[in-house]
Amino acid sequence: MDYRKVLKNKKRIVVKIGTSSLSYPNGRMNFHCIEKLAYVLSAIRRQGIQVILVTSGAIGVGAGRLGLTERPVELSKKQALAAVGQADLMKIYQKFFEEYNQTVAQVLLTKDVVTVPSRNKNSKRTLIKLLEMDIIPIVNENDTIATNEIVFGDNDTLSATVAVLVDADLLVMLSDIDGLYSADPRIESSARIIHSVSEITPELEQLAAGAGSSFSTGGMITKISAARICLKAGIDCIITNGSDPAVVFDILQGTEVGTHFIARNEKLIDHV
Amino acid sequence: MKQQTIIVRIEITTLINPNGKINRRKMDRLAMVLTNLHNSGMLVMVVTSGAIVLGAEKLKLPGIPDSQLEMQAIAAVGQAELIRWYQHFFNDYNQIVAQVLLTSDIIHFPDRVKNTRNTFNTLKEMNIIPIINENDAVSTADIEYDDNYPLALIVAKIARADYIVIKMDMNGKYMIVPRGNQRAMVVDGETELQEKLESFGQEMVSGNNAREVEFPASVGEIEF
Repeated sequence: MDYRKVLKNKKRIVVKIGTSSLSYPNGRMNFHCIEKLAYVLSAIRRQGIQVILVTSGAIGVGAGRLGLTERPVELSKKQALAAVGQADLMKIYQKFFEEYNQTVAQVLLTKDVVTVPSRNKNSKRTLIKLLEMDIIPIVNENDTIATNEIVFGDNDTLSATVAVLVDADLLVMLSDIDGLYSADPRIESSARIIHSVSEITPELEQLAAGAGSSFSTGGMITKISAARICLKAGIDCIITNGSDPAVVFDILQGTEVGTHFIARNEKLIDHV
Repeated sequence: MKQQTIIVRIEITTLINPNGKINRRKMDRLAMVLTNLHNSGMLVMVVTSGAIVLGAEKLKLPGIPDSQLEMQAIAAVGQAELIRWYQHFFNDYNQIVAQVLLTSDIIHFPDRVKNTRNTFNTLKEMNIIPIINENDAVSTADIEYDDNYPLALIVAKIARADYIVIKMDMNGKYMIVPRGNQRAMVVDGETELQEKLESFGQEMVSGNNAREVEFPASVGEIEF
């Protein structure tokens, strides 16, 4: 059965982009990638698909703004840089999305959106309202007051949380990893991408934990746990390389890119 | 003399024209005055409103909607605009600013208060002025109160500030609310503001135990 077909019918998607896609290895911003991302997401929005962007990168932008050559180690410094960089990051997104006449909004969440019911309700309502207004919400962790995401996961968990919160039908995680490999591609030449996963087994987790899969802050492990959160909620999830954001077009056309974690739910049965 | 920490509370109505657009001249002046206070050695922190007004302007809405939900959505659009303007004008005076979004219930979460205080301290060390607003997208407090004074008091508490300065109007009138001092007062013009703040600072250092007292009850009941 071609599970990729279901991806052609998605109506509400969450796209998560990692620091490794937004910036060059030297830490400077990759405007080309951001511009392309703005183009792709604006185009998808015009097709009638609702889009939420979950972004990382505030600390890196803040470091660049202050002329620091290295990312700081201390937590409080990271938080301060995030407060500077988040403002700059939004300015850059606004600028590029404006070129495509697409209004964006900034939503900063803490992970307690899941545990505090009143906040859960407010965040959910606001995000859905923004989608109904044809606005693309750009979500990041509110780093100033919460410290979880800075330490763990480069927003992978946050993106899954948002997908569940708004009842999305697809989460696309863009990073510098092409997908989940059958073995470490740097060691074994026979290693290939596993294109579809219908169950997250212990063997699979072992693969994710293996060497060569932790290129970004999050690495593969946090991506797998994000995928698990999605699967549990019946949300399809794709992990793929985001160096060219146009890959999102391919995904929505059912092309076999990256690793697809297949949600087994009624939606799926309806469409296949 | 101990470095004085000042919370400056800004209401957007003092910075916009009747048509809802930013008054560039006033905003430029504000950025200059605050950067200057900062340069003189005081620690300046800004608590601002304005996300909803600027969001409505951005979306070309005829007015501010009544529905709270719409206001929250509009605030998410407008906050990005608001911080962009602050950045733009402070940048002219070589002053870097940071965006800090808080919810009023922060005061009930000691971990968050600690994290936020750490961030404030680090920003201080890095010579950056925080621009603070209510995180409207996830909280409703500010919209219900329609007033950011409670948030200014909370920030004052977290930052252990010495004063809250309220800009009364654009004719250069300010109200200074000192910590531990019942004499909230109105001053005329930026020079007087600066002089007053400096003399208050000296008074405090010269052994006035009024520092133990809270802010006047008339401006809020939050322990500070």
